[in-house]
This record gives sequence, C-alpha cells and structure tokens, in this order.
Amino acid sequence: MRALVKNGIGVFSPQGFLDGNNSSAFLSIDDIEATSKLNVDMVLVSLKRVIFFNRNGLDAFVKMFIKVRTSTQATVGFCDYDEKKFEAIMKFYKNDLNFSLFRSQEVASLFANSFNNQNKNVLLYSDDKSQRAAMAIELHDNGHNPIIAQTQDEFDDKSQSENAYDVIISSTHLGQMGQNITARVTGNAIIYTVSSFLDAEIGHTFNIAYHNNSLNVGFRLFIFDAYKVISMNVHALNFFSKLASSAAEYNATICFVGLTFEKTPVAFKETLEDSGIMFFEQMDDILQNKDLLHELGASSAAVVQNKRQLNKVLVTELPNFINAAVATIEMMTNSKAIKEAAKVDEIKIAEKDEKIASSIGFYGDMDGMVVLVFPVGIAKKACELLIGESTDDMELILDTLAELVNIVGGKLKTLLLDQKTSVDITLPRTYPDIDSLLEITEFKKGVQVDLAFDDDKFLFFLTR
Amino acid sequence: MITKQTIDSYIEKIPPSPKVLQQTLLLLNAGDLVKAASVAKEDLALNAYLKDLVNKPIYGFRNEVSDISQIFGILGVAKSQQAVYNYMISLLSPSQWKLFKLNKSTFSNLQADLSANWQKILAHLNIVDKDIESSIALLPASIIVSEALFNEKIDDVNLLRSVNPIDLNTILKRLCKMDLFDICEQIAIKWEMGENISKIIQAASGVKPSDDEEINRLGQWMHLLLFFTLSQPNYVDAELNDFIDFQIDYVGDIYSDFSELMEIS
Repeated sequence: MRALVKNGIGVFSPQGFLDGNNSSAFLSIDDIEATSKLNVDMVLVSLKRVIFFNRNGLDAFVKMFIKVRTSTQATVGFCDYDEKKFEAIMKFYKNDLNFSLFRSQEVASLFANSFNNQNKNVLLYSDDKSQRAAMAIELHDNGHNPIIAQTQDEFDDKSQSENAYDVIISSTHLGQMGQNITARVTGNAIIYTVSSFLDAEIGHTFNIAYHNNSLNVGFRLFIFDAYKVISMNVHALNFFSKLASSAAEYNATICFVGLTFEKTPVAFKETLEDSGIMFFEQMDDILQNKDLLHELGASSAAVVQNKRQLNKVLVTELPNFINAAVATIEMMTNSKAIKEAAKVDEIKIAEKDEKIASSIGFYGDMDGMVVLVFPVGIAKKACELLIGESTDDMELILDTLAELVNIVGGKLKTLLLDQKTSVDITLPRTYPDIDSLLEITEFKKGVQVDLAFDDDKFLFFLTR
Repeated sequence: MITKQTIDSYIEKIPPSPKVLQQTLLLLNAGDLVKAASVAKEDLALNAYLKDLVNKPIYGFRNEVSDISQIFGILGVAKSQQAVYNYMISLLSPSQWKLFKLNKSTFSNLQADLSANWQKILAHLNIVDKDIESSIALLPASIIVSEALFNEKIDDVNLLRSVNPIDLNTILKRLCKMDLFDICEQIAIKWEMGENISKIIQAASGVKPSDDEEINRLGQWMHLLLFFTLSQPNYVDAELNDFIDFQIDYVGDIYSDFSELMEIS
C-alpha cells in the first residue's frame, strides 16, 4: 500500500480489520522504503475505514513512523478516528507515544506547512496542559489563531457557538513535531520560520526541493522569520549565501526579519548582504509596505519573466506533452479530442470569457511549462469525476483543476521516463481568468495546440 | 476511460449458463441430490471444481472427498446450490489476472472463505433460505467485473488514484452512471439466479441500502464479511482491500455481534 500525497501530506488509508496477521501485508518493506523517501511534511495513517485494530495491527505502522521520522524528520501519526479509537490508542501506547494523533485530516493540515490553510480561528482543548500549550504554539507558528479552552466545560460551552471557529480540536495529541522549517505563504511571499541555533543542520532541515519548486512556480520573495534565532555559525552562513546566489538566478529576493547580532558575528551580516540578502527588524516593515513589496517582486508572481526560448529537445518531445494532456482529459471527460491547429508563436486566446487555466512546470533533464486553457464547461466536466457531482463553486473547480493538471504532470513524467528522460514536476497553479494567466505567459513564445473536445475548444501551450 | 458502450459490450459477452448447470440447479432446487449429481457428472470441469472446493481446509474434512454424489450428500441442498453458483461465477474469471494479484486458486479460496463464513452468519441469524445462502456466490463477481473493465486502464486508474482517493466502484458510477454491483445484477439476471440474490448484493455494496429491512440487514452483514475477508493478508497482498470503499457507518450497529461471531479479539 502506498500513501496518497496531497499538499505535502502523505496519507495511508487501510480498510477493514488491522491486526498482527495482516499489518505487514498492508505495509511491505518496499512501501516503508518508498515512504521514507517521500518529500512530505507529514505522514499519516487514516483510521477512517478501519473498524477494528489492535496494538499488533498498529505496530507495523508505528515502526514505519519511526523510520520515516529518522530519515525525513516529517511529522507522523494516525488520524480520522473517533473518541473510542483515540482512547484505545492512548491506552496501547501510554508510555511510548512518540507519534501524533489528529482527530481528522483537516486538524492535521493545520499543523502542516501547507500552502492553502492559513489564518484559521481554532478552538482547542486537551486535558493535558502541556499538550494544550504545545498545540497553541505550533498553530501560532503556522499562522493560525489558536483559542485555548482551559477546562472541558469551557470547551463544551465554546464549541456550541455556531460559526465562531473555523476548526475545533479535541482528542488530538502532538508527538514529536516535524523538524522541517515551516513555510507559509502571504500573498506572493513565502515566509520560512527558523529558530534557535542555525548550523550545518539547516542543510537537512530546510526543504530545498520545496524552495526550488516555489521559485519555479513564480514566487520571488522569501522571508526568513528569524525572531527566535539565537545565533548562526559559519556553516549556516555558507548555506544562506548559496541560497541567495541560486535565488539570484531567478531574480528572487531573500530577506531576514528579526535577526539579532548579539551572539552572531556582525561580519556575517555583511557577508550575507554582499550575497544579496536583506535585513529587516519587523515583519510589518516588509508586509505593510506595498511599494517595497512591489520592488521586491512580491506584488505579482510575474514581475520577472524568463525570456527563454523553446529548444529542440522540448519540441521533439511535443507529442508526448500533448498525449499526456489529451489522454488525461479524455479519461476524465470520457470524450474524444480532435487536434485542430498547431503553431509556434506567443499564446493567443480568442475568447477570454468563461475560460480558466492552469499550468504546471517541469524541470530535470529538460525544463519548461505546460499551460492548459479550459472553457469552464470542460473544466467542470473533467472535475466531475473527481468531485462526484457537478458544481458551480469556482474555488472547488480551480482546486480540482489543480489535481487534474497534477495528473497530466504525472502522466507526462511517466511518458518521458519511458524514454529515459527524467523530470520532476512543480506544484500546479490555477488561474481563475485569462488575464491572470497572461500576466505570466504573455509575450512568451511557445507551441500552441488548439484541440476540440466534442464541440468545446481547448488550448494547450508549451513554453519555457 | 470506460464508457457505457464498454459496459454494454461486457454484459453482451457474458455467456448464458450452460445447460448442464441449469439442470443441476433445477434438480438441486427440487431437493433431488442423486439426480443432480448424475447430471453434474457430465461436466468434468464442475466435478474438478467441486472436488477442489470441498477439500479446502476451511471445510475441515479429514479424508479427501472425490465422488460428486458424495460431495452433494455432504454439502446438502443449499450448500450444493451455492457451490454450483460459485462455479458459474468462476467461469467468468479471467485466465490471467492483471489488475488484482489473484490466480485461480486464490480466487476459489476467496469464494470458499466467503461461503463458509456466510453460512456461519446465516446460522447465527437463524435464516434458512436457499437463495439467501447462495447470494454470497455473486459477491466475488464484483471483483471479476472490476478486473475485466479496469485491467486495460490500470495506468490511468493508478494515476487518477494517486491524486484522489477514489475507489473503482465510484469511478465507474461517475463515468457511466452504473456501478460494479449493477453489472453483477445483470449477470444474475442473465443466469436466472433468484431475484433476492441480486437485491442482497446491491445492499452489500454499502452504498445502496435496501428499503426492505431484512435485505438491508443481510446487506450489512455481507458488507462487513466482505471487508473482514478482504483484510486477510492474502487478499491484501492481492490488492483487493481497497477496490471498493468500506462503509463503516453502514455496518456500525451489527459490528459487536459480528466480532463475537467471528471471534475477533
């Protein structure tokens, strides 16, 4: 069984009965190996569809947790359980609970370094005082507003009030949390929170793949929230200098906020400034200053555009790119696609109304970006299979469209791998209208292929 | 991916039940085990299947049973009928499994495991009804249908499932407005199996509860039995555990009875 990865969280969903006999069948050695290589912030086992488990059944997963934690420092634990199951797990692992328990995946996602989940009002309660404090700190660090109930009565009372809280947390236990540097997004800036001593460890704890993906997707401002940093040594200094040089290639800016130089040599500041890193005392100095934000590239993801040309390698693989997109959309809509026209030019979209778009970047043996422009009708139809019903909720459609483009990216990766070309894909981006797409792609040359699904026109654009 | 036409052509291809089997079932229905055995003897494949079935450890016979009339005698009318239905379903199974890691032997083990435990459940519920006893035979047909419809599309399905936790039954329902259990019902109709059989199977899908209280109750037990069985290591290895979604809320009220009966601790 493999974990389903979404928004940096890998989730296993076993079904039925979990005991000592079958737990190793659910989780083979290969599965554990694959999981510990996953680039995720969290690995969870959902007990939603497990009707029976005993300690032996859970042990296989707990062993996996230990292995995953050792190799990736990700947060690990069980989720999606009821009160009875929570009590059973607490009883089984009374003195040995070094993993986390999240009442639901929604609760877990609040503690993950997610892009989407921000600024939630969270009511929380645990009968363990230190747990209450730990949860509040983690939530606060992740950009949420925790409200702690001090007693069960207070919790019951407060949780009655309708719509007062976005999420209510109970029956949750935080084990060792992820050591990865947390990242959150404010507008078009990414904020990383670092704390205590910055040394050679930063090379392991900083998720460089995530950072590179963010650069590829178009983020240009990266802020290190360093209020809680005590000191930095020369290894960390080297790390940040290198990070700054690689960011410079994308014309991106790296800033430090709140870093003090009581225990860190002031000379380090000069070195970092030489490599292009900027220093600010308060977060608001940046976030509240619109002009500065604009200057630093955070007002729009498109301030800096790569003017790179299509190359032969990319054009040679064009049929693969089109196949991946067409096959996926054919699969999702159950209709046949007809290729109408293809040309190498800047992207041209005749009718801008009622259209949405999404893009996914790829990098590795070759790099570039695939843009798909959908009439809202096809997008809705393609998303129906994933959502299960037709919907007019644009946010949901865009979200699902991102998943669909992820499938296209996955298919593309497999097709290219068959030809021994290895690429990685970035996070997908969606655009609610054509204008926001053109901010990124206007004046870029690429291959544009017009396709028709039944009678709907659909546009495929490959660029760098 | 899979269209309504694919499903129609699949249903079209299901052969009518062979004459020998029809006759055997007719005689078993009339309670004439001796005549049923003499007709069944004509179908050598059925003979081999039954012999293999009753000699599985789950039946617990000390010595090998090989004569068909002996087998019918041991099994009795209801179980014999169920065994013949199991055989009919196995006729639909592919010679080589691609989607699920099954083979002839593991599939017949699955049938035997389900049948034996279903008997136990019906005894516990004090139900004596030939059709209800036989209904379990149709359940593995949902696995065969999945295999037949999805094996060519396995890459697409895997890709889809890598971003969204969606089971095969739901995929089919969303694509074609028809699910695995509807197709099983078509098989049951084509093979003139009792009407109750397909009704119980539909309820056992866990997503289509029946209005009839008794059928619904049997559907709950069957749904839970299916997941109890599919949680066995062999079937988890065969990747059968997640081919349809387990509806835990649907079976909540019978779970404690079930766990007592199956001695789950």
